[in-house]
Amino acid sequence: MSDLKPTIPIRIFALLVVLFLQLPVLVVILTSFSETSYLTIPPQGWTLKWFGEVLSDPTYLRAIKNSLILAVSSTVLSLVLGVAAAYGLFRKAIPGHEAITSLLMAPLIVPAVVIGVAMLQYVTLVGMRGSFLVLILAHVVITVPYILRSALASLSGIDLSVEEAARVLGADGPTAFRLVTLPLIKPGLVAGALFAFVTSMENVPVTIFLASARQTTLPILIFSSVEMGVNPGVAAVSTLLIIATVIVLVLAERWTGFHKFV
Amino acid sequence: MTGRRSAWLLIAPLLVVLLLSFVLPLILLLPTSFQEYQPGQGIVSGSFTLENYLRIATDGYYREVVLRTLVLGVSVTILCLLTGYPVAYLIVRGNPRWRLPLTLLVIFPLMLNLVVRSFGWIVLLTNRGVVNNLLIDLGIIETPLKLMFNMTGLLIGLTHIYLPFMVLMLVAALQNVPRDVESAASCLGASRVRVFWSVTFPLTAPGIIGGSILVFVLTISALVTPRMLGGPTYQVMATLIYDEYMQLLDWPSGSALSFALAFATIFIIWLSNRLTKKWAGMA
Repeated sequence: MSDLKPTIPIRIFALLVVLFLQLPVLVVILTSFSETSYLTIPPQGWTLKWFGEVLSDPTYLRAIKNSLILAVSSTVLSLVLGVAAAYGLFRKAIPGHEAITSLLMAPLIVPAVVIGVAMLQYVTLVGMRGSFLVLILAHVVITVPYILRSALASLSGIDLSVEEAARVLGADGPTAFRLVTLPLIKPGLVAGALFAFVTSMENVPVTIFLASARQTTLPILIFSSVEMGVNPGVAAVSTLLIIATVIVLVLAERWTGFHKFV
Repeated sequence: MTGRRSAWLLIAPLLVVLLLSFVLPLILLLPTSFQEYQPGQGIVSGSFTLENYLRIATDGYYREVVLRTLVLGVSVTILCLLTGYPVAYLIVRGNPRWRLPLTLLVIFPLMLNLVVRSFGWIVLLTNRGVVNNLLIDLGIIETPLKLMFNMTGLLIGLTHIYLPFMVLMLVAALQNVPRDVESAASCLGASRVRVFWSVTFPLTAPGIIGGSILVFVLTISALVTPRMLGGPTYQVMATLIYDEYMQLLDWPSGSALSFALAFATIFIIWLSNRLTKKWAGMA
């Protein structure tokens, strides 16, 4: 049925929209290599000096380090807590499992700013302001729904009788889970963990209320530098983030067929 | 009963973490929104007032910010729908070989840091930015257009940021439309346009509704892009909350505004769930 294919004007419009989606990425990359601090098209002169400046600036390096530590630790903690909870929930063995699932997913529907201010007041009350643990817990709250969702979806997609077969053949519960169920749900978990990692890496609305000056993360640093105007250093660090994102996306696509999980 | 007990043991750790670091903070925030705030002195202890909530509806400035946020939410949703539908249509109905590259090009900006994307729009839209320079060099305009710190900037930036969500929801919906139904309509003599409006479009309604709710809810609670492209003066609800907490230290007003935003969001999600279930029930 050739007449159900998109017409030429629709194709052109759609491709322009896809181009529009890449536009800010392209200008950020061009700015980071441009000699002038204001980007002109075509750029006047090419340079790598902004990258050198960023990579020798202790403020940026510390922010990158903080971001990575925070993202890795909150993702790992979310994975452990989230997969355990998903495994406990999906057999529907306990009363009110639907309500509990909704509660655990609730951080997705409460605006992040609201979670941020609630946490700020709370840690001020309990006197834990400025603690790194608070930041990690806050990131667990916002990342765990992604893990939970992908774990529940993966679990419901597998045939439970294989795990029961393993038990009949003498494996205890944890062993059966580790050797049979876990490998089966792994692709879903990798995708969920990736979402969690990215969510933590880029979070501003919760982090900005909780992070002290020493705990600044990369997005917070960019966010506050921008108030002082366009700056090629920011463009350089952004380009590094773009490159990291491309690498992660390509690897994830190879490992898990990532686009199917989005 | 060991099944039930081990299930509880597995769920308990996460439940405790969430109760302590999500539910409890939200509950403790509620009384703050009813307290009185005196500039310079802070929260008046033992006070109880509805003023913080009343101000959202009565004060001219607050009302303007709330209205602006809602207008922004509706406009961004419509823009995402109009620009996203053709993209989703091309992904699902176009050449299968383009499918993966196009999907990845849609996902890529989504995975990219929000701050980086907003920064890109600043480079494009500022007075001496790429767009203005280009237009001046081409002799189309004399003086730079004001593309930032106003509705234009926020519309462009927020549409860019939430468009991928819309496209992905629409792709999922379009995939569920059986091709046979379209073919049948077209065999029975319906024109392309007729097939689209009477068959394809209504069958993708769940995706359209789902995508629209998602984009609307995300837009009204967005902080980063409105702050970066709107600056400290062109406020929306989320940026106003940020300022009341971090600049003015007026936590009671900030928390009242927070609850207003949260209730608006949750109400819209609840309403859409109800409506979707009702429609599904009628079909």
